[in-house]
Amino acid sequence: MSKGEVNGSAPDPVEPIKFLSFVTHIPHREDVDDSIARALEWGVDYIVAQGTGSDWGAHWLGSGTFPATDIAGNCRPYLKAAVEHKIPFVFSVGIAGGSVHLDASLKLLGDLCAREGWNLRVGVLDTEVDREELAGLIEGGVEVVQANRTEDLPEKLSAADARELLRTVALAGPEPIMELLADEELDGVITGRALDIALFMAPAMARGIPRAAAAHLGKALECAGLALSPPDSAEPVWAAVDSEGVTVRSPNPKLAATVRSIASHGFYERSDPTKEDNPGGRLDLSDCVYEPQADGALRITGAQWIDAPYTLLIEGAKLAGYRSLVILGARDPLLLGQWETWVEAMRQSVRDAPRFAHLVEGTDYRIAVRPYGVPDEVDPARPPRMESAFILDVVADDQDLASEIAYFGFIRLFIGPYPGRKSTAGNAAIPLMPVVIPTGAVYVFGAYHLLPTEQPGALFHSRKIDLATAVPA
Amino acid sequence: MKLHELAAVVRSKNAGPFMVTIDVFFEDAESFERVRRAGVLDPAAVAAAYGVPESDVVGSFWEPRALGAKVTLRKRPSSNDMRCTDVFGAHQYLALAYADVD
Repeated sequence: MSKGEVNGSAPDPVEPIKFLSFVTHIPHREDVDDSIARALEWGVDYIVAQGTGSDWGAHWLGSGTFPATDIAGNCRPYLKAAVEHKIPFVFSVGIAGGSVHLDASLKLLGDLCAREGWNLRVGVLDTEVDREELAGLIEGGVEVVQANRTEDLPEKLSAADARELLRTVALAGPEPIMELLADEELDGVITGRALDIALFMAPAMARGIPRAAAAHLGKALECAGLALSPPDSAEPVWAAVDSEGVTVRSPNPKLAATVRSIASHGFYERSDPTKEDNPGGRLDLSDCVYEPQADGALRITGAQWIDAPYTLLIEGAKLAGYRSLVILGARDPLLLGQWETWVEAMRQSVRDAPRFAHLVEGTDYRIAVRPYGVPDEVDPARPPRMESAFILDVVADDQDLASEIAYFGFIRLFIGPYPGRKSTAGNAAIPLMPVVIPTGAVYVFGAYHLLPTEQPGALFHSRKIDLATAVPA
Repeated sequence: MKLHELAAVVRSKNAGPFMVTIDVFFEDAESFERVRRAGVLDPAAVAAAYGVPESDVVGSFWEPRALGAKVTLRKRPSSNDMRCTDVFGAHQYLALAYADVD
């Protein structure tokens, strides 16, 4: 992957390097081929796409699965361009990005390559972290502290906390990706969980772009067309980066990179619109200068990088129990006016039931009733037009127990008496059968912590595969 | 006047599992400045609107180039809590959208 290096000489760090970006888990638009063709006319040195994230909480990390998305279909037009034009690529895949997610994604992409006859030699960066290794580091004195202030997690992760984790990943920074990019044998790199901007930083930094401009490139391109106007992450985005800054352009003429679209993108899912803490430092965009170009592109300069100690964000999932639900609807004004005591009576019945006497609420099981649409003022003279929903939500140590408690709770809600009741055949409307809906395991983050390290790639494992023929374990 | 009447976009989303962030974008500099002057995004006002302690307000920001403002709050219950009703934090903008301006 020595593209751009002419006659073996070191690349000129000021020469712009051109990127095309999309998102691996988002389906592309119908006119994607036209957009890619336009970007290829402008020149593309790297195709980069992210496809990992923890916006959904710990569920996918714990379950080892990911949403039903056609990753091969999403990536196909971009991989086709990579194959036909020999463009190196860097993708992250699998949402939660553990080994199981990475391997399942590699299988889908490998099947695509086999169908298409594409022979791609790919560097794979597996960023799942072994919990024993993590526990060992903590026992050796490494302080792993909360990434965000919260009462939900321990301030410092203990070795015992680490050993409780079902599956753990760390967000790769650019360094281990750069190591793979240096391998001339490889056509591209595919990673599990990684920092989105690191996927862009790695090729840029490998070609001599300073960290500030490389990170700024990543910031602008990480969610593809979401930084354009109108924002749409299903659309690709193109950019050229040099030592001074980034020039962003929309390959689809229906969208445009505007001062406002790029400045607004810094807001999305971030606590601070202009400052972002990353491994090894903070990206500060507060003094950026935006200059619209004659060709419709937007030139941005002035990003700053302030060095800080290197830390990896660790995401670890643990099992919280198993959930069963019951959905009820109610319109009776008499019931809606006293729904809280109706729910409390059900709770008390569960506590008092001899069959559950050995269980402790809050430890062995949790009951929540989630009310939806209960009117602020109930008119005693007239039932509301629509039912209010009450979702009985039970989480217990095993699925059968959760369902048993949910059914018991349902019976109390359905036939339990309340003051003034006249509906002695049933208190609520039940929309679904079966009444009790088991939804499976519940996962929560047991770790969302920062691990300080001086070796950014030490926890990860890389390998080289032929994408079309490798059958991942 | 309510804030949403002066804004083009009022939205919320998680900023990680333990924070929620509310973004407000305006069509013109006049509305942007008017809301900024009204102080509805000051930590005390945000804390009052959401019924949380002021220490839960992580920060508020004004970005003239985006004609945008942002306020970030600790999310409690967080997305990691089984009592959470809004895993993505996408429906937490209403207290701010209906805050009085002027």
